[in-house]
Amino acid sequence: MASSDARGTAKGRGPLEGVRVADFTLHAAGPFCAHMLSLLGAQVIKIETAERPDIFRKPHPVYGRMGAASFDQVASNKLSVRLNLKQPRGVALAKRLVAVSEIVAESFRPGVMERLGLSYQSLRETKHDIVMVSISACGQTGPERGYAGYAPLFGAAGGLGTLTGYADGPPTEIRHVMDHSTGLTAAMAVLAAYLHKRRTGEGQHVDIAARDVACSFIGDAMLQFAATGTSPQRAGNDAPGLAPHNVYRCAGDDRWVSIVVANDSEWAAFARAADRPDWLADERFRTASERWRHRAALDAEITRWTRERTAEEIARRLQSAGVAAFPSYSAQDIAEDPHLAERGIITPLASAEGEQRKVVGAPWRFQRTPARIERWTPKLGEHNDHVFGDLLGLASNEIRELIEAKVIY
Amino acid sequence: MQSTAKREAPAARHTGAASSASEAARPLAGFTIVERAAGVAASYAGRMLAVMGATVIKLEPAGEGSDLRRAEPLLSDSPRVSALFQYLNAGKRFVTCDLHQGEGRRLLDELLLRSQLLLDDTPVAVRPALDLDPAAVARRHPELVYVSLLPFGAAGAHAHYKGYELNVLHSGGEGYLMPNGLTLERFPERPPLKIYGHFAEMIGGTSAVCAAVSALIARDAVGGQFVDVSSQDANVAVGCFAVQRLGDGVLENRHERSFKYGGVLECSDGYVGILTLEQRQWEGLVKLLGEPAWALDPAIKDPLERSRRGGEINRHLREWARTQRVDDLVHRGQALNVPLAKYNEPRDILEAEQTKARGLFAPVELAGLGSVPEFVAPFQLAGAVPPLAHAAKPAGADNAAIWGDWLGHDASRREQWKRDGII
Repeated sequence: MASSDARGTAKGRGPLEGVRVADFTLHAAGPFCAHMLSLLGAQVIKIETAERPDIFRKPHPVYGRMGAASFDQVASNKLSVRLNLKQPRGVALAKRLVAVSEIVAESFRPGVMERLGLSYQSLRETKHDIVMVSISACGQTGPERGYAGYAPLFGAAGGLGTLTGYADGPPTEIRHVMDHSTGLTAAMAVLAAYLHKRRTGEGQHVDIAARDVACSFIGDAMLQFAATGTSPQRAGNDAPGLAPHNVYRCAGDDRWVSIVVANDSEWAAFARAADRPDWLADERFRTASERWRHRAALDAEITRWTRERTAEEIARRLQSAGVAAFPSYSAQDIAEDPHLAERGIITPLASAEGEQRKVVGAPWRFQRTPARIERWTPKLGEHNDHVFGDLLGLASNEIRELIEAKVIY
Repeated sequence: MQSTAKREAPAARHTGAASSASEAARPLAGFTIVERAAGVAASYAGRMLAVMGATVIKLEPAGEGSDLRRAEPLLSDSPRVSALFQYLNAGKRFVTCDLHQGEGRRLLDELLLRSQLLLDDTPVAVRPALDLDPAAVARRHPELVYVSLLPFGAAGAHAHYKGYELNVLHSGGEGYLMPNGLTLERFPERPPLKIYGHFAEMIGGTSAVCAAVSALIARDAVGGQFVDVSSQDANVAVGCFAVQRLGDGVLENRHERSFKYGGVLECSDGYVGILTLEQRQWEGLVKLLGEPAWALDPAIKDPLERSRRGGEINRHLREWARTQRVDDLVHRGQALNVPLAKYNEPRDILEAEQTKARGLFAPVELAGLGSVPEFVAPFQLAGAVPPLAHAAKPAGADNAAIWGDWLGHDASRREQWKRDGII
């Protein structure tokens, strides 16, 4: 049973304490899935090779600068080993790792694990009840299974990017949140599969396609189209029938506040909180349908009010009146928000160099089985000795020989 | 070994080919979950739990039920029938119960006695009056997992804040960073842009399912517990790279986050997205372009130089793309290992061979509309998409089955409750 500290934060073991994950994932979606499992208490062993390390570990210049800009946050909390899967002895070692694991995660293109001799079927022979999750662009089946992709392309293929944008503009790229929502969905599914294994002893292969995940976020539009032949179109920040429903410019450089009014009582509360009774008297804004019809004029009125004030002041004032308003948070706002710090989603963590950094922690507060981030990103192969020696029982001279043979490499 | 759920609620019957799906595809079969969800996030969480096999009993206010039943997009204008509600609630059981009345609260307690998990988005301030204070619930139901899902969580200075999709998206950081690329180039002065629909709330829902299943895994060891899930936290988590980069000294904004080249390209008959992160992918793109002179310039073999000359590369790519047809381009590009994808419309998705091969949609019977394909789940378990039990039903459609057949309250009592507005 967990205890609590003065802040009421639970201390104790995470819900996945005692679960080990052999993590073959690369890039963002797969590593995010395994990262979630690690936050829940699983021991996650990230398997890479110096021959071809995770591209997100390597500096890459897509943003016009060189740096591993997309790696630390999803590799933290994990153990790291080097293993060259192009060598038969590397594959054999990988299978030994699987044999002491409950879950395998991978995000190669479909067919790669099979070519390596690490397909679900072969891993089942290694461990009959293994739960394996495969994460890919389009899934393990279908004519597009071999398609390559990154986050914006998942959003495109799944329709989410198509429906995102201004009415008079092109579709829009969905960025890393598409990767990570795929990883989160994979974590959700593999957790359920693991629970099933706990109850029945039966393992299984979980197949996650980022394209399908994107499609799940437009399931309402898909259903409307299937039933009626029409579907929502790109509509900027509009939500049909709701006004105000927008992001409004505030005082300061590139500062904005999101405001949503869902009904007449919230509209009245908004006008009163803004000290603008004239809005309530304005025929154009009297009913929800009138506000919707005149939303451009309404947005202009509201912007005249918001741009004289800070986003924080507006959010405080409107929330006090029961109106949904929140500043458009930058990463700086997130890092400095006391609410998020109190919840532990933003938390300090010592980097490899000993510097205290603010990082994103676990997004859940369990009363008895706390989830948490505990360790910074491991160096490539940092835990070779522990994993191959302590866990798999290899002698130090065996490990040395495998390093010289570029198996542990 | 985890004990199986006791006194299982009457499960929904599965239709058609779905009935042959293995039990592994329904890993939560045997669990009974009570869902009290006014918003999208918790409704989506319940939907995922239901498609994983749990019996999810949706508790709605007596009368017209959830406001989401009338939310856009619509299946029908008059009466207003919501496609959103139907999507979020397929496969659940539907009961009504007025928790503002003591008898209603007693009924909920009865239901919770036979359930393993409560999923709840009741605002924090309202919970005590409805007997939903977590500590009190834990005293009455020590083995129950209570998953609270709120826009800003159940604890902290903003716990009482109201938040809809747009607010949640902006509270998590991604709202501030949207849009990028071509959309931003065309409309640099417009406000930040939301992602379609209820993305941020569905992220909150997915996060809640992770928490719910984790707590069920831990239940044998620690019993029930309260789990506080915040949609804002979930969105901060999926947007975590921006926080990492802040620590590296870069405060991201939408004007500087765009990829330097590639992105959305307009073709003769639609849009594609293209992104070449690796050298071999760029080389594939050069072949796809037909190796024009500008692309063979030795200087732009260097990735940093390509980034510096992104504007020039984009001008060439956009001019070329306008002469191409989408499907042909995707097919030829992927054969060269160039990551690109079509910006699919709903029709494209529904008709795609990929969609059909993966069985992503299952028919549901919708009143007045007949059999309509509905997206089932963003995961495949044991080799298939799990079965979708049935369409969403009217509020209280399962009152007789749950309050009567399962909990044993006779028809005359239920009639009295109905007259009193309790169910």
